[in-house]
Amino acid sequence: MTKESKKYVCPYCGEGFDTAEGLKEHVFKMHKGCGLPVPEGGIRLTINKSEYELKVEPNWTLYYLIHDVLGLTGSKQFCDRGACGSCTMIVDGKPVLSCMMLAIECDRKTVETVEGIAAEGHPLIGAYVKHHAMQCGYCTPGFVVTSKALLDRNPDPTEEEIIEALAGNICRCGTYPQHVIAVKETAAKLQVEKAAGKGEK
Amino acid sequence: MKEFKHFNAYSIDEAVSLLGRYGDRACVIAGGTDLLGKMKDVILPTYPEAVINIKTIPDLNYITQSDEMLKIGALTTLAEIAHSEAVRSRCLALAEAACRAASPQIRNMGTIAGNICQDLRCWYYRNQNNRFSCLRKKGGRCYAIKGDNRYHSIFGGSVSGGCMAVHPSDTAPALIALDAKIKTSSRMIDAQDFFEVKPVKTTVLKTDEIVTEIQVPAPPAGTSSTFLKFALRKSIDFPIVNCAAMITVKDGKVAGARICLNAVHVVPYRAARAEKVIIGKSLNEAVAEEAGQAAVAEAKPLEHNKYMVAVARTLVKRAILACTG
Repeated sequence: MTKESKKYVCPYCGEGFDTAEGLKEHVFKMHKGCGLPVPEGGIRLTINKSEYELKVEPNWTLYYLIHDVLGLTGSKQFCDRGACGSCTMIVDGKPVLSCMMLAIECDRKTVETVEGIAAEGHPLIGAYVKHHAMQCGYCTPGFVVTSKALLDRNPDPTEEEIIEALAGNICRCGTYPQHVIAVKETAAKLQVEKAAGKGEK
Repeated sequence: MKEFKHFNAYSIDEAVSLLGRYGDRACVIAGGTDLLGKMKDVILPTYPEAVINIKTIPDLNYITQSDEMLKIGALTTLAEIAHSEAVRSRCLALAEAACRAASPQIRNMGTIAGNICQDLRCWYYRNQNNRFSCLRKKGGRCYAIKGDNRYHSIFGGSVSGGCMAVHPSDTAPALIALDAKIKTSSRMIDAQDFFEVKPVKTTVLKTDEIVTEIQVPAPPAGTSSTFLKFALRKSIDFPIVNCAAMITVKDGKVAGARICLNAVHVVPYRAARAEKVIIGKSLNEAVAEEAGQAAVAEAKPLEHNKYMVAVARTLVKRAILACTG
């Protein structure tokens, strides 16, 4: 390609130029206001409140980066095609499927995984254990992450809203009714904690 | 996934110039929920050399409304459209379609432009490792015609008359029913003329063209629209058949109607015969039934998908009745 044969290569898109003037003109025209170029394959992101600077390959998914490279093995991969919800992570406040997201595109994003939810002592974990919302447990991290995202957005969801929010997660053991109970109990508990916190102040 | 080059485009011009450079050896990625599945399964004989990320283009994620137009940026996610008050109040069919597509997580990732540009669904075409070299891959024949065709076209094929795959988009029929226009990096296209199935292609977009905006005109007074979807599961499922309708009623009579079915043909199927039936009439159960019959009058079902004709007929009928009340 042009990249190997030309002397001046655009750091943003890799297009090659013969002269520095040509490159300068191209950068001003195409990449004005883009900020400094990041080194190739480099991303900065926040995972569970820790900041990372990583070099990733273009064909790594976010799931591969977090599960296989960084070793946070809480999230699970089942279908790898975006159809089961086991690999759900919260990216910039929204639950998304990490198996269908390229890691290289997560530059400057904030990611929260099930480990982060456990580390902050979120009452969802206790409620899931108490109501035994699992059998084999493989889908559970995905459900917990999706539920956490729901409670962040909507602190007092109705039963319909919980079912709607969890519609993207599949559990082959059929533990669905327990999830609704666990999420409802957590919501009530968080409301009480919030009210108590306000009272103290 | 195999190796590929990855580029972030920071402007529409940059995306177009990258596409111009790589031509059909590059793929555009926005939400990625369709493309990454295709790349993981290696369904195509050729693997993309480069993937061009357009999520990094600023200011392509918006919903703005004026008196005559609702404008939706290409990178607006399906979840944002489903929850937008402006979309829900002005074009219910689009909000409902966005709301019923895929699963909550995928709606947080998938964009409206990606939803209309997604590839066809056919278990032969999408079989792993390019197992069936079908017509869409410039191969010899369509394996669905004599194979298991329970989810295939009931209105005949395309790609020179052969391919029986169906277009799975939920928002495409809604946009066609709402008479939307699709703005690309170089021109404006009517939603209805946007879809065209050729080998490896599902739209009329050129290799160096991307969708930048969807424009939905404000419906005239007395108009209501609706979207209905029939699928095996309520969530995380593609439609067996879906139907969008926009009907304008004036003095108790239908003054204008646009009805579009999808997942029944290689491109969204406009039920023009059904529209003709209801124009100038006042709507009731009998008229809706007649329109449903007319909608599937040209159906040519295959061996295993005759049930889809009944589903399509009923959806057209229910969509018309939903618009009346």
